[in-house]
Amino acid sequence: MLVVSWAPAADAANLLWTSGGSPSAYHSAVLADRPPFEDLYRDFLGRIYAYVRAQVSSSADAEDITAQVFMNAYQAYGRFEVRNTTPAAWLFRIARNATLDHFRATGRREKLRRTIEHQPTSAEDPSGMAEERIQYRALLAHVARLPERQRDAISLRHSGLSFEEVGVLMSCTEDAAKMLYHRALKALRQSVQDERA
Amino acid sequence: MSDNDDLELQALQRQLDDAFETTRPRSAFEDELWSKMQARRPLWTRIVDVFTGLFEAIRAAPAVPAAAAAVVLILAIGIGVFSAGGVHFGGGASTTSSQAGGAQYNASAPGAFGRLPAPALQPVPIEDTGGPKAAAPAQQSGTNLYLGPARLVWAGQLSVATTSAPVFRYEEPTALDADRFATALGASPAGRTPGTLGVYTGDGFVLAVSGSKRQPLAEPTFSLTPDRSRLPAPGPTEADTAAAFLTAHSAVPAWPSVDAVEQIGDVTQVRYLRQFAVPGYGFAYLVNQWGVRYGLAVDLRGGQPLQATGPLPVNLATANYSIISADQAVRSALASSPSAPSAAPTIRLTSAELVYALASAGDHSFYEPAFLFSGTFTQNGSTFTKRVLVPAVGPQ
Repeated sequence: MLVVSWAPAADAANLLWTSGGSPSAYHSAVLADRPPFEDLYRDFLGRIYAYVRAQVSSSADAEDITAQVFMNAYQAYGRFEVRNTTPAAWLFRIARNATLDHFRATGRREKLRRTIEHQPTSAEDPSGMAEERIQYRALLAHVARLPERQRDAISLRHSGLSFEEVGVLMSCTEDAAKMLYHRALKALRQSVQDERA
Repeated sequence: MSDNDDLELQALQRQLDDAFETTRPRSAFEDELWSKMQARRPLWTRIVDVFTGLFEAIRAAPAVPAAAAAVVLILAIGIGVFSAGGVHFGGGASTTSSQAGGAQYNASAPGAFGRLPAPALQPVPIEDTGGPKAAAPAQQSGTNLYLGPARLVWAGQLSVATTSAPVFRYEEPTALDADRFATALGASPAGRTPGTLGVYTGDGFVLAVSGSKRQPLAEPTFSLTPDRSRLPAPGPTEADTAAAFLTAHSAVPAWPSVDAVEQIGDVTQVRYLRQFAVPGYGFAYLVNQWGVRYGLAVDLRGGQPLQATGPLPVNLATANYSIISADQAVRSALASSPSAPSAAPTIRLTSAELVYALASAGDHSFYEPAFLFSGTFTQNGSTFTKRVLVPAVGPQ
């Protein structure tokens, strides 16, 4: 029987670049023991999209911003350091900045008007006819109408981030993030109740 | 805060969890964006990909001395640079426009597919210690499939006259493609449930179309479920009933196939095992990640169709690729389990055949030729089957 021992491909790639040349995202990932970017992409695309969608509530805008997030993340992945932050916090920071950039570019008031006019969106998404999904869509529209920091706290928290991560992203303490979140939750409930009334 | 307040807020949190969990982009978005990102990568990252693929190819080839590999590496640096600049080496030998079993394939430019992802069987669990480990029965078609490490011995005959074989490529279908397929079957949209490209209803049947699945890897599929209250009388045999059912719904596969009938409990499954025509070889079966032949299946109970499930028809582009020799395939198969512990069983691989297997590269997927080796061994009174899949396309 033939037995072959061979260096892993990752080691070979390292060897290739030690003599010079630009380190690729792949190479850096190997060195820093970080997950391949493709894993991040697969794991977080849906969550980032949902986070963005809760801010803008228009699927076209959400796709544009999500695409920008991952383009930026892909380019910056070589500089990402696991010891400084989690992949989730890192990606959501990029997503948050991209969303803020979007609002700055288009004007928050105008976006909000268009957002509200687009609810519900059965015409653009026939699959969303299920009552449950329409309810969820409407709920996210209420989230989108909250003040910016409240909206952010709810979106980040329900995208799966810890309060500590939310606090870091929003430049406040973990306790302050919790308080902000709970205030946002109550404001959201009030918004939903007001509409029902 | 009152108890009612608490309950209301908790309910709201659950709704928010559900809302965020179920808000996802349309099904094609993931692949579209990934393709865009790949297209914008800088040149040097593409070169690294060339090297990565090269090393994978070298690792797969047995008994290559390190010095020889170093020489190959130096050569590859040059080749990689030229390849990235638009000059194509190796891999795609020529392009053909072929018709196999009535399916029209679109011809591509020579070498258009470039470096291919390697098809593979379901990977062996890392923690496996060598004891018999069988795959789930539903995935292996009634065989005790052994997934653990083994000492492999070749005791069969493999002869392949051809030196090249076609590779087939398709793009991930969109919801629009699914709609077109449904229209061809006389069905109209009835919604789009999560995980599907579309759900449709026709006269006496429901059609669901799904995109590719990554784990286990599977191509886009459709399933056709008839209204059980409106079924015609059964045919003389189950195969006749299945054929009549497919014909009535314009769902007869356009590709070459071999019929097989299997009884699973009270369900009879009539399978149309898909094949690909290989010039100079004949027809090669399509196998799944457990090395099991598959294609379109019609389930019947009491002689009546329950459901038909099969690959969604997609446009296939084709290009010829050089393939490794039978000797190289055998060596690669034997080297596929190089670090088997001493307690691992010794298995005689006694048969091998050219097959086709699915491999995915994100926005595109490929049906690629591969050599499937099989052998059996008995342990503790149970007979196990070991399968080894060796990609047939040579180093690219």
